Amino acid sequence: MRETVRLCLQRRFYSFSMLTKPESALVVVGHGSTVNPDSSAPTYDHAETIAHKGIFGEVHCAFWKEEPSLRQVLHMVDCDDIYVVPNFISEGYFTRTVIPRELGLNGAITEIGGRTIKYCEPSGNHPGMTDLLLRRAREVAPEALPEETALFIVGHGTDLNENSAVAAKREVERIRARGIYAEVLNAYMEEAPLIADWHALATQPNIVVVPFFISDGLHSYQDIPVLLGIEAEPGAAASQREVFRMNPHHLRRRTLYYASAIGTEPLFADVIVDQVECFDRQHLIFS
Amino acid sequence: MKRHLTFALAQWLTDSPQLEVGEILVRRQPGGFELLHRDDLKRNDLAAHTRAEDARLLATLDDHDTYRPLKSAPNLRHGWRLLLTTPEEVRIALDYFYPAALGLFTDWQQQMLTPVDLRETLGRQSGMYAITRKITDEQAQEMIGAFCTSQGGCLKTILWSISPGLPICSLPPEKFDAHTVRGKGCNLPLLCHEACNLLVAKAREVVKSAAKAE
Repeated sequence: MRETVRLCLQRRFYSFSMLTKPESALVVVGHGSTVNPDSSAPTYDHAETIAHKGIFGEVHCAFWKEEPSLRQVLHMVDCDDIYVVPNFISEGYFTRTVIPRELGLNGAITEIGGRTIKYCEPSGNHPGMTDLLLRRAREVAPEALPEETALFIVGHGTDLNENSAVAAKREVERIRARGIYAEVLNAYMEEAPLIADWHALATQPNIVVVPFFISDGLHSYQDIPVLLGIEAEPGAAASQREVFRMNPHHLRRRTLYYASAIGTEPLFADVIVDQVECFDRQHLIFS
Repeated sequence: MKRHLTFALAQWLTDSPQLEVGEILVRRQPGGFELLHRDDLKRNDLAAHTRAEDARLLATLDDHDTYRPLKSAPNLRHGWRLLLTTPEEVRIALDYFYPAALGLFTDWQQQMLTPVDLRETLGRQSGMYAITRKITDEQAQEMIGAFCTSQGGCLKTILWSISPGLPICSLPPEKFDAHTVRGKGCNLPLLCHEACNLLVAKAREVVKSAAKAE
């Protein structure tokens, strides 16, 4: 399966080396946090990876809860042609309301003061997400036989984040359709089916849990481990620990593997770049 | 027309042997530039870094390894020096230390920076922050005086007012004068053209706390 996933990713992202936009800037927008640096870390990491590839004339980050803010970032940019990619797991309040409002956007393409701002789909909407989830599941539990494994894709799941639950369900359906794992299940932190009930929801001896989150922030690094039962109480933030959790965990006569958030996957950088290409294809823009 | 912020920075670095940005000194040296905390000028035990991206980590935690959500707070970590080769690298590093400071100042110089008053900022908030528009002028004055003070709060120069015709009275006059900062030498002032999200979040606390007290 590993080879299949790798080939899929290569095929899907094959065009990256062709993309070159020296006259364009890329702004990657994340949520950020006033509590710890873990929320913004993957967004910064992916932006640095993209910057080093030299695809764009410049690459910047902006955040809702951190600096540079959405109100500051356009002042950092030299180029007149600017792509904005939200590094969010799904469409929702932030991508539809907050980001456009704060940047002054009025649609997919906005002209502001002689500049053109192109607002792309969020990274989590990318069709390659399914392959990335499978890749992460395989990486965290290489010895677990898929036919004896239940794979959980865990989302937040509240009224405010209704679309993240929809996106997580979509990914589960896609993975299930591939017939790799014995069971593929959705679970959420705050709505049924609850991840806290994983032992009742799944019947397989191996359990693989992949958080459908952008970062190893409070939810995926501190809250879900408690809900799974691998920690008694929320631990320190990811940035305050030297290593990620040691897998596997032996709980309730099962073998449980807990992955880091899907948004920390290094190939997310390619997904962000591909969202720019998708935008160009949709709007018939040619480099 | 495409801007060239790196060229502007390179010009300043050529014109002056030293540039002060917030708590940082940028100094020309053979083969490039050195950035360090202004308090560390006399230290000879500074840890050397050579990647512009190292500025991200240096700007993230204070001396006690506590997270710094506000980059312009006067608590920049000590004990490091950042050795860079090109003005482009200096620009990248400065944007980690003081995000957008270079671009905001350049736009301000060219009269392309429009301050946004607090009422307008709060008025466009939605969701959990919509409640912030209920803050009274008196509460706002008190909140800004405590939260934005350069003495332990934020080093930025404020360009906005509470509402048209209602200036902020709870901070000293020099807090609002970018020319004062600029006049000390070759300084790049940190400009605040709009209340940040940390202040908006604080406004929410103030409104909720006042509602609870009633």
